[in-house]
Amino acid sequence: MAETLLETSLLSRRFGALAAVDSVSLAFQRGEVHAVIGPNGAGKSTFLSLISGELRASSGRVRFKSEDVTRLTPDRISRLGIGRSYQSANVFPELTCAECLWLAAQSRARPSMLFFRPAETYAGIGARAERALQECRLTARRATPAGELSYGEQRQLELGMILATEPELLLLDEPLAGLGHDEAISVIALLREVARSSTLLLVEHDMDAVFSIADRITVLVGGRVLETGSPAQIRQSRAVREAYLGDEQP
Amino acid sequence: MIVPPRVRALLIAGAAALFLVVFSGDRFWLQFLGKTMITCIFAMSLDLLVGFAGLVSLAHAAFFGLAAYLLAGLSNHYGLVSPLATLPLCLAGVGLAALLIGWLSLRASGVYFIMVTLAFTQMLYYFFNDAPGFGGSDGLYVNDRPRLGPIDFGERTVAYLAIWIALVATYLLLLRVVRGPFGRVLIGIRGNEQRMRSLGYPTGRYKLAAFVLAGGLAGLAGYLDATLYGFVNPAHFGWRVSGLLLMTVLLGGKGTLHGPVLGALLLGFLEHYGEQVTTHWNAIVGAFVIAVVLFLPRGLAGLLRGARG
Repeated sequence: MAETLLETSLLSRRFGALAAVDSVSLAFQRGEVHAVIGPNGAGKSTFLSLISGELRASSGRVRFKSEDVTRLTPDRISRLGIGRSYQSANVFPELTCAECLWLAAQSRARPSMLFFRPAETYAGIGARAERALQECRLTARRATPAGELSYGEQRQLELGMILATEPELLLLDEPLAGLGHDEAISVIALLREVARSSTLLLVEHDMDAVFSIADRITVLVGGRVLETGSPAQIRQSRAVREAYLGDEQP
Repeated sequence: MIVPPRVRALLIAGAAALFLVVFSGDRFWLQFLGKTMITCIFAMSLDLLVGFAGLVSLAHAAFFGLAAYLLAGLSNHYGLVSPLATLPLCLAGVGLAALLIGWLSLRASGVYFIMVTLAFTQMLYYFFNDAPGFGGSDGLYVNDRPRLGPIDFGERTVAYLAIWIALVATYLLLLRVVRGPFGRVLIGIRGNEQRMRSLGYPTGRYKLAAFVLAGGLAGLAGYLDATLYGFVNPAHFGWRVSGLLLMTVLLGGKGTLHGPVLGALLLGFLEHYGEQVTTHWNAIVGAFVIAVVLFLPRGLAGLLRGARG
């Protein structure tokens, strides 16, 4: 029996009169890749920000491992085991790949230990960062400043930074946006790899990618859930086709 | 952060040269270089905020002035002369003030943070300028300068030596801090605070810790200044002090620690010799600053950088 890792109940966020996210109740099972799709302005990124704590919910609840996390700050939520990426690559341009990953890994160390000793001497953190460097396949770019990486590599690095925090749930906001064909293929391969051991909540526009890696898909339109189901169910849903997929056959 | 070998050699040579000045016994040089080294400490402490955490604070003069006035108060009203008592008390007082001012100002960010820190400094300026019992705009004498047994810090040579030790200690302390994990977190916050938060860092607490540490070291500079001159006045709190200090940091090269030291030394000498040449020496300093900002975006320290960038 699958275990519910994350659950939103009647989650809403209003900006003035606009309900960007409107009474969304969804359950995300441990180990699954759950994609959220929908047209522009459907409230997908807002939904992620409500879970990650960067936006406050107007009403409703978010539960992570049965704990209410609705009002927690982003850093608390991150430390509970939810990592997030952003629509455009969000790295530290001045730092090298290794330093970015180091910083991500260090976030799990106790803050009281963080004075004085040179950073390089913390072996546990170094090992975790090194593992993440391999996982995101950037070992060859170790000493390259993140700002000089290609866009695709920056997205890989961003994923690596999330992995270095060893989250149980990854919130990925359009990880393929802005990537060329080859870059997209390598990031998709990376996502598949990550999906084997973690739970993913994926917001993505690339339908081929979504239908090939998602176990479950939710269609969001106008801030509301239109339909949730397996890729096959979504593909066959008339409502979805009319509202969103249009003529494009996935 | 790596200190390139040539910078390290330069710093060691500079520290040795400054140390040797003690033996000259020359009134002018001890006073002038003592004052300049105090500015070095002051500027390095601001660099922790500006260059590492990306926080442009104009509250630094406040901590400098508070420590100086605290020393005057402890000495004049409570007869405390031992630095073993007054230094910890002054630093604790300044630390507390930094905690409060930082806690309030860090709720704002960007230009609003700058304005709030400036407002606090101005408040303190008018308080010490106008409140009775603090000597008004004339300031106060420190009646008994710090003294430890036979060691009288009112002596120029002794004060100079103490300042030299404080400068070296401050540099080594800050170097250790910025190289450690804490320093990396500050650099991360400067680069991308939102990302740091979503990686799990309570960034507000780190910024506050940096603000208090930097404020405390600015307090150390103020304490030494009151010790060297035996005199405090409300101009310590002037926004000019904070502004000049910021200029010193940028001129020298922020985010390097040794840059602000170079900036302080250079501005010190420029002011001293400029004054002898013309009464409009400020124009020379101004032109120089503009030239550095335009042509050396990394400041003077940028000249010393090796091949890497």
